[in-house]
Amino acid sequence: MTTIRFAVLVTIVLLAVIPGAAQEPYPSRPITVVAPFPPGGVADLTARPVAAAMEKTLKHPVGVVNKTGAAGAVGMQFVATSKPDGYTLLLALSSISIIPEADKLFGRPPAFTVDQFAPIALISADPTILVVPADKPWKTARDFIEDAKKRPGQISFSSSGVYGTLHMAMELLSHAAGVKLRHVPYAGAGPALTAILGGHVDALASGPAVVLPHIKSGKLRPLAGWGDKRVAALPEVPTFRELGYPDAEFYIWAGLFAPKGTPEPVLAKLRDALRGAVADPDFKAAMDKLETPIAFKQGAEFQMFFETDAKRLAEGVRKVGKIETK
Amino acid sequence: MVETLSNLAVGFSVALSPPVLLYAFVGCVVGTLVGVLPGVGPLAGISLLLPATFGLDATRAIVMLAGIYYGAMYGGSTTSILMRIPGEAASVMTCIDGYAMARKGRAGAALAIAAVGSYVAGTVSVIALMFLAPPLAAFALRFGPPEYFALLLLGLLVLAYMSAGSMLKALAMAALGLLLGMIGIDQMTGYFRFAYGVVELGDGIGVVPVAVGLFGLAEILATAGQPTPPEIIKPRLRELLPSRREWRESASPIGRGTVLGFVIGIIPGSAHIISSFVSYAVERRLSRRPEEFGKGAVAGVSGPESANNAATSGAFVPMLALGVPSGPIPAVMLAAMMVHGVSPGPLLIKNQPELFWGFIASMYVGNLVLLVLNLPLVGLFVNLLRVPYPILYPSILMFCILGVYAVNGSVVDVWIMLAMGGLGYLLRKLEFETAPIVLGVILAPMLEMALRQSLAMSDGQYGIFLGRPISATLLAVGLVLVLLSLKPLITKSLDWRARLAMAEKGENLP
Repeated sequence: MTTIRFAVLVTIVLLAVIPGAAQEPYPSRPITVVAPFPPGGVADLTARPVAAAMEKTLKHPVGVVNKTGAAGAVGMQFVATSKPDGYTLLLALSSISIIPEADKLFGRPPAFTVDQFAPIALISADPTILVVPADKPWKTARDFIEDAKKRPGQISFSSSGVYGTLHMAMELLSHAAGVKLRHVPYAGAGPALTAILGGHVDALASGPAVVLPHIKSGKLRPLAGWGDKRVAALPEVPTFRELGYPDAEFYIWAGLFAPKGTPEPVLAKLRDALRGAVADPDFKAAMDKLETPIAFKQGAEFQMFFETDAKRLAEGVRKVGKIETK
Repeated sequence: MVETLSNLAVGFSVALSPPVLLYAFVGCVVGTLVGVLPGVGPLAGISLLLPATFGLDATRAIVMLAGIYYGAMYGGSTTSILMRIPGEAASVMTCIDGYAMARKGRAGAALAIAAVGSYVAGTVSVIALMFLAPPLAAFALRFGPPEYFALLLLGLLVLAYMSAGSMLKALAMAALGLLLGMIGIDQMTGYFRFAYGVVELGDGIGVVPVAVGLFGLAEILATAGQPTPPEIIKPRLRELLPSRREWRESASPIGRGTVLGFVIGIIPGSAHIISSFVSYAVERRLSRRPEEFGKGAVAGVSGPESANNAATSGAFVPMLALGVPSGPIPAVMLAAMMVHGVSPGPLLIKNQPELFWGFIASMYVGNLVLLVLNLPLVGLFVNLLRVPYPILYPSILMFCILGVYAVNGSVVDVWIMLAMGGLGYLLRKLEFETAPIVLGVILAPMLEMALRQSLAMSDGQYGIFLGRPISATLLAVGLVLVLLSLKPLITKSLDWRARLAMAEKGENLP
C-alpha cells in the first residue's frame, strides 16, 4: 500500500518534470482510490475488488490507499481538497454525511462538506443487524427493547467509535424505541466485534457479513435488522420496520466519489468503468464471498439515495447531541 | 496427538508442494524487504500484495501474506541495529542495544543473533499455535478493556527499567511521551484535543515518525556534530559471527522472549508492540550485569527480537481459532481470507483442513527460509557500514523522510519526524534518554482508551478493575513489582543503579 503511495509520489514527481503531462487523455497514469478506513474494514474490502475490476476497463493501475484517521475525516478531507482530475477518488461509507454534521455540533470548522464531492456511484448498501451474545436471555428484539425499558442505561453496546456508523444505527434505534443504552465506543468495527464475542458488551449493530460466521457457529444471536427488507442470508430475522419502528432505518453503504469540479468527460468515463466493474464476474464473486449485496445506483438515483440518507443521519446526529462527559 | 501429527503430515505435503513453497518464499523475501525499509511496515506490505492475490487459490494467498508478516519481523531488526532506525514500532527496543553493539563492531553478531532468535521464536511458537490455539483463543477473548488497562499499567511500570541513567529523567521523558500521546480526537466524545485545526493531528501523533525522529535523525545529527568524525567500522568476516559467550548469553533470553511474545501476542489489540518492551525489562531485571543494558548487552537484542517474532504467531491464534482480528495486521489477513471465500472461525479447522494445516506447515518452512535468507545477508548488510558518512547519512535521511511519508501519505508526519529529530538531538546533548518518550507515545492512547472503556462498561465504578480475575491478578503483579523496587529503600542496600552511579564517580563499591 505504502509502496503504491510511493509509486504515486514518484509518478507525480516524474509528471512534474515532463512538460505537457496535463493534456493527456484520461486515464494515462495510475488512479488512486482512497479508503478512509483501516485495512480489513468494509470500505477497504469493497475498495479492493472495485479497484481490481476498474483496472480491467480503464487499462491503468487502480491502487487503494488507506488514508485513515479521525474516523475517516482525514481521508475524506484529503480527497475533498485533491486536484479534481479523476486520479484521486474516494470510497466513502455512510459516515461521509455524519462527520460534517458532528463538526457543526461542536461548532468547529468542518473538515469538509458533503457538497465538495461529486457522487459517481453507489456500490453496495447493507442494512445493519442487531446481534447479542447467544448466552443472553433476549430471544427477540421485543425482549431486548422491553428489558432496555425496564433497565435504562444498563444494557451496553460496542460501536466503531463515537458518531461512527455502528453508533448511529444504535442511536436511531434508541430514539425510535424510546430506550437508553450504554455506549462503549471502540476504535473500529473489528474491535467492536471482538468486544461482543468476549462478552464485554451486551449488544452490537453490525453489517451482516462480519457477524454471519459467528451467528452460524452459535456465538451470536441476531434479533432484528435496520433495513426496509429482511437480509437475504437471514430470512427469519425481522426488520425494525416490521416491528413498528420505521425510524430505525440504517444502511452501511459504500459509494465512489470524486472531488467536485472533476470534468464531466472524466466522470462519465468513471461511471462507465464502474458499471463494467460491478458486472465483472470476479467482482461479483468477491462481493459474494463477503456476503455483501451489490446495490448499484448511478446518477439521479444515487443522488436521491445519498440525500435522503444524509438527511436521516444529520437528524440522528442532532438527536444524539454532544456527548456529555461525567 | 497422533491425529495432530497426521494432520501436520498432510499440511507439509501442501506446504512443500512447489507452488506453495514458491509463494512462501516470495512472501518471505517481500517481508524482509518491507522490514528493512524504515517506515514501510508489514501492514503496508500485506495490503499492497492483497489485490495481487485475488487470482490465487486461498492457501497460496494466505501462505504468501503470512510470509510477509513474519518476514518483516526478521527484517525489522536490520536498520535498528545498523542505523538506530526502527523499521517499525516492535523493533524500537532493538535500537538501543543492537546499535550499541554495532558501534562496538559487533553488528554482525547482533544481526546473526537477531535472526537465530527470530527463527527459534518463530518455530517454537508455531508449535504452540498448533497445539494450543483453541483453548488459548477462548482465554484471549476474556481480555476486555479492564484487563487491557491492567496489562498496560504493567507496561508502564516497565519504564523504571528502561534507562541506564537517572530514573527521574526517565520518568520525565515518559511523562512527555504520555502528554504527546494525548494529542488527537477524544475517542469517547469526539472532541479534538490539541490539534489546532490540523485534521491530521486528529488521529494523534504516530509512533513511526516519533521513533524515527528521536532515534534515527537525532543519531545522525549528533554524529555530524562531533568534532572528530567517528571511525568507519570495518567489519572483518571473522567478526561476523557471534562469539561463544554471546551465544551463551542469548540462549535464555531467546527462550523467555519466545514464551512472553507468544502469550502477549495472543491478546487482542496491538499487544505485540508491548511484548518487546516487556521482554527487554525482564531481561534487564534478571541480568547479572544490568548496567550493560544500553551499552550493547546481547540479551537486550535477543530477548525483544525473539519476543516480537513469537508475538506474530501468537496473533494468529484468535484469528485462526475464532475469526477475530487481534490487531491491524491479522485484520488484513482476515480480510484476505474472506476475499478468498474462507471464513475463519471455529469451523475453519474442520471445514478446510488443508488450508489450516498447510498454513501451519508453511510457517515452519517459512521460518527456515528466512533463516537461510537472512544469515548470508548479514555480511552484505554489515558492509553498509563501510559506506563513508558523507554518503551514508544523507541517504539514510532521505529514506527516513520517504519512509515516514509513505506510512500515511502525510506531510504532517514528516514535519513531526523532523521536529522530533531536533528534540532528540537536544535531549541527547542534555543526557536525557529518548526511549521512554516513544513508549509513552505508544502507551498513552491505548491506556486512556482502555481506562475509559472500562469505566463506560461499569458506569463509572472503579471496582471493575478488582472485580475481574485477570485484571486483579495483573494489578497485583504490578503492585509486587513496585514493592520490590521499594525494597532497597527499606533495607538500605544499593541497587545496580546506585552501584553504577558510584562506579562512574570512581568510588569503590561497598
